[in-house]
Amino acid sequence: MTHRSSENGRRVLAAAETVGRGLGLGRPGLRASADVVWTVFVARLKIISRYKGAILLESFLPVFFAALPILLGTAVAGSEQNAANNFFQNTSSAGQGTSQYRLYMLLGSSTFMVVSLMLWLIGYWVRREQETGTLESIYLAPAKRLHILAGVTSYSLVRSLSAFLVAMVIGSLLFGVNPFDGNLLASIGYLVLGIPALWGLSFIFGALIMRVKEANSVIQLIQWVVPFFMGVYFPVTMFPPLMRIVAMTFPPTLMNDAMRSSLLNISSLYGPGYIVLGLMFMAAWITPLLGYEFFGLMERRIRRNEGVGQY
Amino acid sequence: MPGSIIRVEHLSKTYLSKERKKGNRKKKLVQALDDVSLAINDGETFGLLGPNGAGKTTLIKCLTTLLLPSSGGAWINGYDVLRQEDMVRASIGCMLMGDRGLYWKLTGRENLDYFGALYHVPREVRVKRIEDLVTLLKLGDFIDRTVETYSAGQRMILAFAKALINDAPILILDEPTVTMDVPTARELRHIVKELNRQGKTILYTTHLMHEAEELCNRVAIIDHGKIIDLGTTAALKASISTEDVVELEGIFPEATVGRMRAVPGIRDVTVTPMDSGITKLNVACENSRMMLPRIIDAVTGNGATIQSIKPKEVTLEDVFIAKTGRTLSVDTQVLGEREARPRGG
Repeated sequence: MTHRSSENGRRVLAAAETVGRGLGLGRPGLRASADVVWTVFVARLKIISRYKGAILLESFLPVFFAALPILLGTAVAGSEQNAANNFFQNTSSAGQGTSQYRLYMLLGSSTFMVVSLMLWLIGYWVRREQETGTLESIYLAPAKRLHILAGVTSYSLVRSLSAFLVAMVIGSLLFGVNPFDGNLLASIGYLVLGIPALWGLSFIFGALIMRVKEANSVIQLIQWVVPFFMGVYFPVTMFPPLMRIVAMTFPPTLMNDAMRSSLLNISSLYGPGYIVLGLMFMAAWITPLLGYEFFGLMERRIRRNEGVGQY
Repeated sequence: MPGSIIRVEHLSKTYLSKERKKGNRKKKLVQALDDVSLAINDGETFGLLGPNGAGKTTLIKCLTTLLLPSSGGAWINGYDVLRQEDMVRASIGCMLMGDRGLYWKLTGRENLDYFGALYHVPREVRVKRIEDLVTLLKLGDFIDRTVETYSAGQRMILAFAKALINDAPILILDEPTVTMDVPTARELRHIVKELNRQGKTILYTTHLMHEAEELCNRVAIIDHGKIIDLGTTAALKASISTEDVVELEGIFPEATVGRMRAVPGIRDVTVTPMDSGITKLNVACENSRMMLPRIIDAVTGNGATIQSIKPKEVTLEDVFIAKTGRTLSVDTQVLGEREARPRGG
């Protein structure tokens, strides 16, 4: 204890013995922090806008993702009516009976698009910045990592929500479904409420990529594992008990289920609305904290060894 | 007597490096910095000299908070590198990785604006600062083009502008003239001198001795993670200057060289053949001024022709050779082959 306090004292003394010449033009503060978030957000938008057609093209992906099971279901059942009847029967036994299987698939794949984009954009952002050397430039600046991440996540939020809305519009027109039959507003509300948990997961994902220095294999894995556990095309109650528990504790599954239950007017797997809302608030609070803590932990570990710049 | 604005005490850095040989993966502990201590005075230009892999960049990365040291401490601008990271970063303008660290899909102006925000420079101040930098560094022709269209030299000069965006009291420049053409590099050195004259403290790493001699008040020679010597360029040169060398160029028959070696006071004569039959002689002696008439006497006649004669000055390269036993270029190559360390040391 005495040793530590004398070491502290020595360090403070050493700092005081060094000449101080101010901070140049830098003026840290609340306004400067908000400026960091806004500037990062705008820069990301400018960069993606210079890759022609990127945002529009990714909006079509959920439509294709939804078309696959819809057409497969029709092919297996023999007709659309049979497919709808079978789907109603099977989802009823899981506690979520609906014959609107096309909207079920479209919503599932569009929601997965949001989850995928949020994770992918952050993970790929970290990796790309590492490779181009800009990550080291960011670490040289006094801006807090949280503010930079807030800028990047705001951008990924705007991008993924735009993709969601465009996909829902195109998909509804192509598959002849009407999302306004259900409570679309509540569904979007659940989507927004689920976003902070996705941020938390994306921080964990980004930290892992920074550590393993490889994005593609992790992204490839996630493209299949995440929709599987989210129950994009089926209720997760169809899983064996242990797998069901794992799937249901995964925040994107909760978000997907909440959105689905409000849009299709079916009951939630998690129980009454207030339980769903409570769980979503909890996930929105805890996951980002855990994610940011994990990011910080990984970052310190990297700085103790070879540094963030080594790729 | 100015106080120190950068202070490093017993700083060491070790890290685990993975080595792959014939399919086997081994972890190896690398000592990148070994008990480094130095102090850089407020307002001076301080040079850090050494070959690639010597530890220059590792030291700079520790000072700029990119790496956590394994032991020891450092203080910059009144702040502790380990405990006041944000304030340390705000105190420094840094050009660390050459033309890397820029967004290629953004224009030069957008890059400067972006990093200005990250350094907490207020928006209205930033706009004015960018205009000043465009004028100072003559960026006008390309500042509004995306960086992907820049030449290597243009990217370097933009990276230099980025280091100046926050007008910090300390400037850290790691091999800033690499990939620049000769006139641009000369212009950059001129600006560095001007910035120093305005009061900025500059830490400049290079393996180009003429840059260090031109810019630095004091230099530290670093090799294998240790500071080998530190002082003013004049003091370092004087420390190895035990004898004078006179350099002659011309046509010298073999007998002339033998006759020179026999002159009392001449210690050694080294012969270097050059193009078109010209030979260079380096004559080591005790006192070149006193010996010059005797050297000329010994050379003239017997078909010898002197084209030029001048005293050879000791350079920092000579200091490096004297302190390490190797030339800078050879050492860079050998070290690179022997041990792969992070870029630039």
